[in-house]
Amino acid sequence: MTHPLNHNAAQNDDVVHPEPEDDEQEDEDAEEENDDDDDVLPNLRAPPSPASKLQQQRFKVETLARRLSSEMVPIRVHDIVVNGNTKTKDWVIEAELKGIETATTMQDLMRACEAAIARLQALEIFDSCKVRLEPGPKELPNTANVVVDVVEANNTVSGECGVYTKPSTSSWTLECALKYKNLFGYGDIWDTSLAYGGSQATELSLGVYAPLIKRLLTPIVARIMLVSQDWQEFSSYKEQLLGASLGLISTKHHDLVYTLGWRTLTDPSQTSSRSIRRQLGHGLLSSLKYIFKMDRRNSPIRPTRGYAFLSTTHLGGLSPDHRSLRFLRQEFDVRLAVPFGFYNTALNLGISAGAVFPWGQGFMNKTSPLPERFYLGGDFSPVCTLGGPTTLWGFKTRGLGPTEPRRQSRNRDDDNNGDSPGWDFIGGDLAVTAFADLSFDLPIKWLREHGIHGHVFAGSGNAAKLTQHEYKHFSPRKFLESFRTSVGCGIVIPTRLFRLEGNYFHILRKDEHDRGKTGFRFSFSAPS
Amino acid sequence: MAENEINTLVVRKPCFGLPTGCTQCLSAYLYLKFAQLPFQLDFHLNYPDSDQIPYFEVGNYVAYNNEKGGVIDCLKRDVGVVDLDSGISSLPDWIQTKAMLTTWLADALAYELWVGSEGYSSSPAYTIYYSDLSWPLGKVLFWRKARWIKQKHGINNENAELKKEEIYRRAKSAYGALSTWLGEQSYLFDNRPSSLDATFLAHGLVVLQALPESSVLRSKLLEHANLVRYVQQCKTEFIDDNPTPTYSWQFHTAGSSSTSSRSTSSSKTKSKPKREKTEEEKTFKRRSKYFVAAQLVAVVVFITIMTSFDDAEVDLDE
Repeated sequence: MTHPLNHNAAQNDDVVHPEPEDDEQEDEDAEEENDDDDDVLPNLRAPPSPASKLQQQRFKVETLARRLSSEMVPIRVHDIVVNGNTKTKDWVIEAELKGIETATTMQDLMRACEAAIARLQALEIFDSCKVRLEPGPKELPNTANVVVDVVEANNTVSGECGVYTKPSTSSWTLECALKYKNLFGYGDIWDTSLAYGGSQATELSLGVYAPLIKRLLTPIVARIMLVSQDWQEFSSYKEQLLGASLGLISTKHHDLVYTLGWRTLTDPSQTSSRSIRRQLGHGLLSSLKYIFKMDRRNSPIRPTRGYAFLSTTHLGGLSPDHRSLRFLRQEFDVRLAVPFGFYNTALNLGISAGAVFPWGQGFMNKTSPLPERFYLGGDFSPVCTLGGPTTLWGFKTRGLGPTEPRRQSRNRDDDNNGDSPGWDFIGGDLAVTAFADLSFDLPIKWLREHGIHGHVFAGSGNAAKLTQHEYKHFSPRKFLESFRTSVGCGIVIPTRLFRLEGNYFHILRKDEHDRGKTGFRFSFSAPS
Repeated sequence: MAENEINTLVVRKPCFGLPTGCTQCLSAYLYLKFAQLPFQLDFHLNYPDSDQIPYFEVGNYVAYNNEKGGVIDCLKRDVGVVDLDSGISSLPDWIQTKAMLTTWLADALAYELWVGSEGYSSSPAYTIYYSDLSWPLGKVLFWRKARWIKQKHGINNENAELKKEEIYRRAKSAYGALSTWLGEQSYLFDNRPSSLDATFLAHGLVVLQALPESSVLRSKLLEHANLVRYVQQCKTEFIDDNPTPTYSWQFHTAGSSSTSSRSTSSSKTKSKPKREKTEEEKTFKRRSKYFVAAQLVAVVVFITIMTSFDDAEVDLDE
């Protein structure tokens, strides 16, 4: 794309156009203002030789650098020109150049250009992005034209593979994705992904990420997915969800997602307990989830100073049909990291709480949906898992909380058989967890250099059922008295992607059917 | 006795003046009534395609219908429910009657509910099995079941009429044979109730109560006065004397409040389901209008706010 006034730039004898150096770095021309500053420019009568020309240019660059470092150099952007986009729409690129046209000084302009290049590269649809500054028209002094040269990606198809953690399911997933970039020229990225994880969770999804739709400054993310999760071992049911999600707002602090899906719970083993059994079947999920997140910690893997706050509100039943799944789920998570100033010691404190309730006609007699309840436990470190009450050191996946006996053997004469039918973890409507973790550097230099440090920790948590008139039997004192507690110590090996811990846990208090054991265990956690 | 220790038969939705609209569930209900086993009813409303329902619970023991012999055989074996078929279940006539009931008549009723009801203004199958599911889910599951039935009978566009005639012809023959066999007796075999009586009475009650008057199957059953008398007698003795349980709307029929599901109410008449449906439709339409209006307002507000939304959130320096 060119601008009609662009040809003026070439006619200006004072313009310097240095060669572009690197794709990753901003290219700038040493521009010459159209002022008549005789102190800077020597008055030459004869045509200059190449050597003197070079000397002049060097002199100009040095003068410019001196001016930039000592004073604010006024400048005004006259025009922005985009070159090189054959498929990508002009307004998609121009939308990422905000801040350039309002720059009033050279320093601001350079910063704005840096930011624009970073934003363009973040679209992942260009092989290279360069920004050049050229002098503006002769008749308009102190102006510059900004020229953006982009090279669209040749290879629009790419593949990705990664391992992620999902605190909501307390499991890891291996995800492979195939991406097609810039199909319609809006900077849109289409992807098909297949994920497989713990609890035999599988997810097949097709999604699109559109960073910019006209007049909407937040990206649109839409996905169609088929997710299946196997909780047979813990809760005697399998879950399948076929649906679509639409990301309405996605900014640094705010996330708003709408999900519409068909959820089915089944029990092929036919061993489920009573309350699980009654929830098997189909349900329509139409929900809005809003997440507010503020993380001011200095590191998500090993936070040593700062604070974080997370609030998640999940409202289900957003349809005129009263038969859809109606619930309200609220979570809070607060973290604080306090440095002590010696041996890089820091105390991490955290408290999380959550509650889920059904709503609608007759809600007092209803029960909360099984998948929306709180299940505590899992081999994750709560230090870097920011996402509501999810885990407690020392307890296995879905290892603590309300339980119900599973179906008894059909042959009632065989009561002498010692096999217990087992227990289902049915989740809680109210959950609270808290932890304290003191981390410190180890005395060995090699370990310190690699960030390997030690920690001692204590954690506590509990979950309780409140729906179906259970709230009548609930008392805060009993709830506090039944908190599970664990303490321990261990070694933490932080990497760029995840946090590996080798810990020794000691369970101070647990209930009869909880799945937690004193002992040594490894855990992998990724920041969330 | 703890609530969990109460004998509970979990069935599908009560409707059309019956304790449950599903023939398999009603058959189990009638057998337990014949066996004079005290029990209460509970309802599982959101799993229409499950073969586990009806199931019987007492304490932590459960007998599912898809286990060997069905829920009644499991109860005979495990719970000690009296075997009403002893002495007669090995008779040749018994086996033939059972075959007739479980194939010809069951197929005819299934066809009438899912395929033959396409011309009806409201499908009884939808009311019995899908009315407690959200509309799109109910529609998809109904369509899936109808397709399965057509595949089972090999019905396609070319032979639809022929298959329909064949199914109704067999049903008519079965009704005729049963009518002749029953005569003026009170029960099918040995003048005492048996599981086949429970099976046929469940079928007859659903045909007479749930199917509309224009139903072909219903008209064929009405041709046999003694069968109709037999069904009405059962209804009087085991259904009308026990007020039709209603259920307060519960999310997935939670079990601990099952006592509320037995709140008594006057028996529903055939016209009441129609009246309720009309009121439900009106409420649904009104709510859908409010919902659409709220969505439009939300979209307009969202676009208005987002156009002036500050992109300072995108902080590239961090």
